[in-house]
Amino acid sequence: MLSTRHLLGIKDLTLEDIELIMKTAQEFKDVLNRPIKKVPSLRDVTIANVFFENSTRTRLSFELAEKRLSADTINFSASGSSVKKGETLLDTVNNILAMKVDMIVMRHASPGAPHFLSKHIKANIVNAGDGTHEHPTQALLDSFSMREKLGDLAGKKIAIIGDILHSRVALSNIFALQKQGAEITLCGPTTLIPRHITELGVKVSHNVKETLKWCDVANVLRIQLERQQIKYFPSLREYSLYFGISKQMLDELDKEIVLMHPGPINRGVELTSDAADSHHSIILDQVENGVAVRMAVLYLLAAQN
Amino acid sequence: MKILIRSAKIVQKGSSLNGLIRDIFIENGKIAEIGENLMVEADEVVEEEGLSVSAGWFDMRVHAKDPGLEYKEDLYSMESAAKAGGITEIATLPNTKPTVQTRESVQYLKNFGKNNLVAIHPMAAVTLKCEGKDFTEMIDLNQAGAVAFTDGEHPLQNADIFLKTLQYLAQFGGILVNRPEEENLTHFGQMHEGITSTLIGMKGMPKMAEDMMVMRDLKLLQYVVSSPLFKMPNRKSLLHFSCISTAESVEMIGQAKEMGLPVSCDVAAHQLAFTDENLFSFDPNLKVNPPFRAQEDVDALWEGLANGTIDAIVSDHNPHEEESKKLEFDMAEFGVIGLETLFPAIATNNEILSAEEIIEKITTGPRRILGIANPKIEIGQNANLTVFSADKTWNYTEKSIVSKSKNSPFIGQTFTGKAVAVINNGKFWKTEK
Repeated sequence: MLSTRHLLGIKDLTLEDIELIMKTAQEFKDVLNRPIKKVPSLRDVTIANVFFENSTRTRLSFELAEKRLSADTINFSASGSSVKKGETLLDTVNNILAMKVDMIVMRHASPGAPHFLSKHIKANIVNAGDGTHEHPTQALLDSFSMREKLGDLAGKKIAIIGDILHSRVALSNIFALQKQGAEITLCGPTTLIPRHITELGVKVSHNVKETLKWCDVANVLRIQLERQQIKYFPSLREYSLYFGISKQMLDELDKEIVLMHPGPINRGVELTSDAADSHHSIILDQVENGVAVRMAVLYLLAAQN
Repeated sequence: MKILIRSAKIVQKGSSLNGLIRDIFIENGKIAEIGENLMVEADEVVEEEGLSVSAGWFDMRVHAKDPGLEYKEDLYSMESAAKAGGITEIATLPNTKPTVQTRESVQYLKNFGKNNLVAIHPMAAVTLKCEGKDFTEMIDLNQAGAVAFTDGEHPLQNADIFLKTLQYLAQFGGILVNRPEEENLTHFGQMHEGITSTLIGMKGMPKMAEDMMVMRDLKLLQYVVSSPLFKMPNRKSLLHFSCISTAESVEMIGQAKEMGLPVSCDVAAHQLAFTDENLFSFDPNLKVNPPFRAQEDVDALWEGLANGTIDAIVSDHNPHEEESKKLEFDMAEFGVIGLETLFPAIATNNEILSAEEIIEKITTGPRRILGIANPKIEIGQNANLTVFSADKTWNYTEKSIVSKSKNSPFIGQTFTGKAVAVINNGKFWKTEK
């Protein structure tokens, strides 16, 4: 059993929770490779995917996970919906719940929005990304994908490279990886790294080449232009020249390295196309594992009821 | 009306009665008798274990929402909340709709106070609509009864406007009240910048944004004061910093006072009770500006109160209806209510001030800044009094809130200390037991 009714963030999970999710995800991954990919585990469970922020892959991944588990699903996205008419979050969600929904998968631009909701409603909540706070299922699928490649993560060196300041993936990854005993270096321009982040026990670098030499895994983040309300660096050109990663840089290393990216990639900005498509990259494995990990999360949370 | 306060400890520094337990008899709004075991007939008697009485409490930072925002608070509900908090006089911010920037708008507020228990001392805007651009008619507004000038919720940003305001106010003994914040450094900020804001993914507001404005404003004050044209105003303070929140602010203002600059400052009561770590709950009722800071700042604020750097404690009472607060944290408005909890919030969290010193910060402290005489507990004086219990414990619940808005960070807390009755302007109000 998980120690929590909701998956709001990785910060509140125990190591046992993470191990249980990893183990369960492995079982579901095996299921997904069978000819019949569907299991009846969540029959008669209704899940609403409530997305107040644009998303393609996360929403598809959740929806597929739900369908593979035989849950009934409904989708709500902010564009063209009541949000634009000025309805509050609480009203919107209560309206959905009034239709007898058991679980809510929510993405929202406000940090803490799922935590706020959890204080006012009874359904289980899965945080599918809350502003610049957490994106727990992404961190779980990242860990799952790293473990497939490297085994136990204790003592492994993981670099997270890019826009740390605006990234919910970075924070969730830091929490998840530290609980599993990995070492972490964050790398990016100073203006995109939170001032107090080293208090969490991570290292910070501003040199991508040095960081690549150090790490076993480079998890490269997307430049979140849409979340930057003010200027943080001069231009995408300069960013890609000094903080971007190319295949040549990876090939020059005298070791194997695992390259990851939560997507969607800004090709030519944080990663060149030849790097993203190189043999170092496990970007598409991440996407595949995402379904299994989300199945595990939904299954384990449903078992709480 | 005849009112008798039975066996209350008088708290009034400098008075020969300070610390003595006495009966006080009030007739037609004036203190008629002070003594022991008074044998008098009264219409109203205030009597319970462990009472104290002081000059009526003064809150010098209240966000009036009337006119224009009455759905948050109107003058009647504001008055009721003040009475429930033991407050007999308030100074209001000009951020209403329309802005307090004309004689009429000043008089609207003053007149309400004249007919009720709680006196209202309006502060008028420095610039039209508080936009920081064109000046209001400050001499005229002062004549109409504005006790101070401030853009209230909008800290003055432009150094030249700030400088000229000080110069202009100095000529008639006016005072500028300003909350120090460099807004370029706090854009989109939601809370104190620190490890907590990092952990909960919330955009931070660095302490620097306050500190550098305090530094700048003190420099500008010094420039004004050192001018050969400058006459010392008839008040102690020309520049008053509102709601300071950082250790560095306390230190800089303390040094400026030692240099003899005409400066004063206050702190909001809630700032003494919470730190940024409380925000792990994402409770929008903890969203204030300036934001809740680190423990070391809270400690420095208490120290600043004890050593006299901080002159007054205010409620910064800022009512918001549920629709502005029961929201995702970053969408909620800044501000909390505080009139009803001013004294209990201080008394419950206090470890350093004497009871006398607490009362100073909510009576003589703010009045001295605004040039208003502190009511005396003497026979023949107008009765402007707050009767309170310093050690009564009670639970503060949402249901017990008198204000029209319920956005308090203290809901659910157990308080020590409570106002019991207030008397002012020939009127009387008492809590239900």
